[in-house]
Amino acid sequence: MGDKEMASSQKVTVYIDDIAYQVSKDNNLLAGVLSQKLNLPYFCWHPSMGSVGACRQCAVTQYQDENDTRGRLVMACMTPVRDGMRIGLQDNSAEKFREQVISAMMTNHPHDCPVCAEGGECHLQDMTVMTGHGSRDYQGSKRTFNNQNLGELVGHEMNRCIACYRCTRFYNDYAGGKDFGVYGSRNQVYFGRQKDGTLESEFSGNLVEVCPTGVFTNKVFSAHYTRKWDLQSVPSVCAHCSVGCNTSIGERYGSVRRVMNRYNSELNGYFLCDRGRYGIGFVNGDQRIKKAQGISQQSAEQLSRLDVSKALAHFRGKRFIGIGSARASLEANVYLKKIVGEGNFSAGYNHQQMEVASTQQKLLQQAQSSGKILSLSDIEKCDFILVIGEDITKSSPRVALSIRQACRNAGIDKAAVMGVASWQDSAVRTISGKLNTPFFSMHTTATKLDELTEQYLLLTPDEIEEMVLVLTNAIYSLINEDFNNEHEKQLAKLSTRQQLFISSLTTKLMAAKTPLIITGDSLSSAKILAAIEKLTHCLAQEKLTTKLNLVVLSAASNSFGLLSLLDKTSLSTEQILSQLSAKEVAGVICLEQELAAFTDDELAMIRESVETIIVLDHTHSRVSEFADIVFPVAAVSEGNGHYVNYQGRVQRYNQVHAPQLPILDSWKWLALIEESFESSIMPTAILRKNKLEPINNLTQLHRYFAESLSTWPLSNKESNKEAIKAVDKNTANNQPVARMTTRASGRTSQAANYAIHEAKVTQDQELLYSFSMEGNKPNTNNAMPFTWAPGWNSNESINHYQVDIEGPLINDIEKDDYLSFVHSLIGFTPDGEEKVEKENSTLVYFPQGSLFKGEWQSANTAEFKLLTHEPDKHFTIYLSNTSAERQGWGNGQWLKIITENVTHIGRLRCDENLPDHLAYGDINELANKNTGVSITLAEAKQSEVLLQQENRQGLYQQAKDSQEKVLQGLKELDQHIPIRFVAGGLDEA
Amino acid sequence: MTEAMMRPLTQLVNLQSPLSLSQYISEGGYQGASKALHEYSPKQVLDLVSSSGLKGRGGAGFPTGMKWSCVPMFEDDDDKAPEFKYLVANADEMEPGTFKDRYLLEGVPHQLVESMIIGAYTMAANRGYIFLRGEYHLAAKRLQQAIDEAYQNNWLGKNIQGSNFSFDLYVHTSAGRYICGEETALINALEGRRAIPRAKPPFPQMSGLFGKPTVVNNVETLSNLPHILKHGAEWFKALSPDSDPGTKIYAACGRVKTPGLWELPMGTTIREILYQHAGGMADGLKLRGLLPGGASTDFLLPEHLDTPMDFDSISKAGSRLGTGGLIVLDDKSCPVAMVLNLIKFFAQESCGWCTPCRDGTPWAVEVLTRIENGSGRKEDLDTLHNLCDFMWLGKTHCALAPGAVEPLKSALRYFIDDFEQHIDHGCCSYKQSINQQTKLKGHCHG
Repeated sequence: MGDKEMASSQKVTVYIDDIAYQVSKDNNLLAGVLSQKLNLPYFCWHPSMGSVGACRQCAVTQYQDENDTRGRLVMACMTPVRDGMRIGLQDNSAEKFREQVISAMMTNHPHDCPVCAEGGECHLQDMTVMTGHGSRDYQGSKRTFNNQNLGELVGHEMNRCIACYRCTRFYNDYAGGKDFGVYGSRNQVYFGRQKDGTLESEFSGNLVEVCPTGVFTNKVFSAHYTRKWDLQSVPSVCAHCSVGCNTSIGERYGSVRRVMNRYNSELNGYFLCDRGRYGIGFVNGDQRIKKAQGISQQSAEQLSRLDVSKALAHFRGKRFIGIGSARASLEANVYLKKIVGEGNFSAGYNHQQMEVASTQQKLLQQAQSSGKILSLSDIEKCDFILVIGEDITKSSPRVALSIRQACRNAGIDKAAVMGVASWQDSAVRTISGKLNTPFFSMHTTATKLDELTEQYLLLTPDEIEEMVLVLTNAIYSLINEDFNNEHEKQLAKLSTRQQLFISSLTTKLMAAKTPLIITGDSLSSAKILAAIEKLTHCLAQEKLTTKLNLVVLSAASNSFGLLSLLDKTSLSTEQILSQLSAKEVAGVICLEQELAAFTDDELAMIRESVETIIVLDHTHSRVSEFADIVFPVAAVSEGNGHYVNYQGRVQRYNQVHAPQLPILDSWKWLALIEESFESSIMPTAILRKNKLEPINNLTQLHRYFAESLSTWPLSNKESNKEAIKAVDKNTANNQPVARMTTRASGRTSQAANYAIHEAKVTQDQELLYSFSMEGNKPNTNNAMPFTWAPGWNSNESINHYQVDIEGPLINDIEKDDYLSFVHSLIGFTPDGEEKVEKENSTLVYFPQGSLFKGEWQSANTAEFKLLTHEPDKHFTIYLSNTSAERQGWGNGQWLKIITENVTHIGRLRCDENLPDHLAYGDINELANKNTGVSITLAEAKQSEVLLQQENRQGLYQQAKDSQEKVLQGLKELDQHIPIRFVAGGLDEA
Repeated sequence: MTEAMMRPLTQLVNLQSPLSLSQYISEGGYQGASKALHEYSPKQVLDLVSSSGLKGRGGAGFPTGMKWSCVPMFEDDDDKAPEFKYLVANADEMEPGTFKDRYLLEGVPHQLVESMIIGAYTMAANRGYIFLRGEYHLAAKRLQQAIDEAYQNNWLGKNIQGSNFSFDLYVHTSAGRYICGEETALINALEGRRAIPRAKPPFPQMSGLFGKPTVVNNVETLSNLPHILKHGAEWFKALSPDSDPGTKIYAACGRVKTPGLWELPMGTTIREILYQHAGGMADGLKLRGLLPGGASTDFLLPEHLDTPMDFDSISKAGSRLGTGGLIVLDDKSCPVAMVLNLIKFFAQESCGWCTPCRDGTPWAVEVLTRIENGSGRKEDLDTLHNLCDFMWLGKTHCALAPGAVEPLKSALRYFIDDFEQHIDHGCCSYKQSINQQTKLKGHCHG
């Protein structure tokens, strides 16, 4: 909740079992009771989805006054909170009824607990125990259902369903999904798809957490399963887009098992997208780099610091170019820049992308100067939205989910006027009807959010820029008549539809109180961003609206962290090539980079021009292939560091286990590289003897940065309060937090096939979390490894750690740090034409975003590869009706999509909203430049279609084999659990 | 009073060939609507209906005037006025033992059309729907014919009979679901959604069909309107001076000599309906008990025969007037089997939204089935009592389950011996002697 919300959240007195409590008036009685940390069972209510009163589990007795001893049963979730109301929570008739509800659900619920994935974190189990139901009265048999194959990610076991309707309410109502629903009636209601098939929503994984029983389970987790109480968990941050949703990673026996949502009231709330939930699979992928390459080792079993030093000694004092990465941690990027020095650091962006970055920096500066950039919870409250040049559902899906909620605000307000509270979900939706918050969109492809817009346009990037400029002029002309002429002339050049768009947009924007513009860099268009800058400048200057909010999204988890390091001295990829060809550079260090901006030929050129190429990464790519030295890097689950999200919010991710050596954090390798370049490496023992402190953890690293860099952004804040607290670990209060639950079993015997002796517990150098069940409780601070409360084993236990339901966490005392963009700008101004040729006769194609392929790390997840190559699917290309008709083609026509380098085969679909010169589709391989590609089309022959289908089938089979291999590998690994004694550097194993 | 004035609802019924519009008019039809449109303001009609004391005939007995008074009214130029307001006729007659609406719909369709014009005028509704049970094919055809005639003669559409009032009326045939008789489930079904009832508040008058002000009335209730307009509130009250005002179409089914339906003054006694009009029990049978108002009402016994059939009196006797259709139980039919049959219906018709109804009704079916076929146990009676308590008012999302347990709980009160007989001996006592001969535990279909 924002500050405004807190102030207006009035508390009134409610008597629960004759004790007075202060309860918020803004939410229903159930939320109020739960906020007091009292135990009232429920199923169908959900804090983000409101109340519908279906399950009847939350019944309490309501009394008229002190004298009323009988009272009547009411459903707490449907009851508003009133001052002075009197409730019986533990009163006989309410308790008896609540037990009867469970008893009724149990008439059909199977005895699956021992084999059900939900067991141990099952909300139904918890509520059953809570109501005291223990013995079975029903003598009849249970109804059973057929299950469906819902794809790779979500399992389906309908017999367990208690018909709480949460799944359809989430999938259809909350997330706008279409291919799932509830069928049938009475005690045979069925929740599933019309027929078997992969769930299409980007948020399908949330069914796993929203379902209170084991109907919907994490299929990937189930394949290599362990009980929640046996999992070792840690608080982490999603590594797959710039939102930085908070996650909780769980592992056992040295392999990552799953990702769960970690509640954050301002960002992801209770939900993740499928990329964040399942994208962690790449960590277990068969393309992981697990060994160093190009370094000769003294000892065959172990790589030592001395080995590294010897390998790099030759390059002491020579010039290196360092290419940082938007998916590497802030620390790693800062360190690399420090090592190679100013003038040698690059982000791996080409000139076009550098222009975009430069404009982004200016926009962010502007946005931050007027206050904090909106978090997702703020976005959900906006009353006007304009999306420019982004397919948010595919690039930053969690934001799209929040936009969907924002679209409901007009209806919620209408219901409020009628006296209907926002938590009365069904009534609010009925009253809202089709009324949506004003929402406009412009992009090169159709998107799933289009259905919620008032109007949307499909345009090329140049046309988008033009529209933004026209909009700016339209606003100027509202205040100043001098602009009218210019505005009229511009309007006259637009189509009728575009004119209507501008006029509706202008009216609605001017009338809005909390307007929002969302854009991003996915079109790589500095011109669009520059035009937006003019627009925001106009609105701010003319004080026409209350504060205009701007959100600029980017591709990767640390795009903004990297952006803060770019300045005038930073190199573009073109500049790198020219410097290399002048033979001035000894080597290149690539930090977690796919080098997407370089073609294969350019990579070959780089290979020719330097003595050595050093690559740090966690997964093989063409970059690791052509490297001389490869250092295996810790993935997000194996290391510690900070990512900076789109707001500039600095968030810390932590390692869930100590990975097998020689896998290390990037920054640890960079520390070794720095040492090697500056002097010979001293063994740790000598360092200690000379009282030179080695850098073992982030706190020490940050201190080092603060001392040696003037621009270390976190130095002027007490950024590592948690670490500072932890450093002082002699104090009992500051023990590290346990990663494991108190019930975790098997740790002492896990290596019994090797030795009966209990292995020593791994020491975590970071000092915040321990690799055992010993330590502080998970809720000691607001970065919780997992969530649990007495009697609440499932994720519903988060209720106990929030101040009020759906509000901030209790321990959320210290706010996150934010990076500001006031210093170090690149300082480009966009110049010249963009590289896309504008010939009127050619068709320009833009790729749609892809959830499974759109981010490089998660694209290596086995399940994502399967989902990308589903054999019964095919590529689709969208054309305008006229373009298609002109060629005599209709929906379903098989076409060849021909570019300079490659031809693909896809099926035609007509989109009446497309202009004739524009096409889009899901062939992402045509997306190298992130801008449009000229294509020609021809009819495909049946043989060519068949060939493509065969290829697809082949790729699918490959992916299936890979998935099998990975799974087998993981199960093997369970037998040979690698145990490290210290989660530190190379020589401390 | 003339015959016509004493039996206003059914006086013009002709099942073979219902009156055409011109025939209906020549018999005095559309005079009520005309009076409303030309002589009364909407407020005046509302006051008239309120003072007449008309109560809903769909089963709940809610005062119609009060229901209508909650509809928000707007001035002509108020831009907050919603684009549509709806009047819906609940013609989804699916209460077992009820067939009065069918009689009116097939027999005198124009009466409903006229009624809806009056109702819509009163609440300033511009659109009306007759939500008709899909199985009533003949009624659908006849209603549509009546509506077409009305449009042709300017009784529907724009500026009806030269007034400012415009009203469009449609017949919507439902796909067939008992729960659609619940007004908010009906509204959901009309919207094309799953027929699940809505929580109230907000009430349909504020947020109903498509979120707009909506009133849902039963067919029989609405059919009173033309007559109240024509003859006035006092006449209406005089039709049954000692009871709820107006007439009621009562029915009787079961093993009586002449099952059927009859329009009688509100408050006619059960005895009169059963013995004077339905001819009493069939030969060789004695009255055991009856459900006064359809399947979802409590049993009454022969000792209650002199109870007037009005809302309060029946309620005081421990049951509900409901739809006023008697379902009669004779002494050679098994009460356990009857209750099982009824609860099977309700379990089948449960919409599946709330736990007590969805899982409780089939549970009751399971227990009653075993008791009925002779494998019941003593504990089963406790289970049945618990289920009756579990599915009572306030605990469920709508009134289907409470209605479902009304026959069950009253059967447990009045016919407990039969239940125990089944548990101890496997079947009804009157069957026992027969079964002893064949040594079979059989079904008691009687």
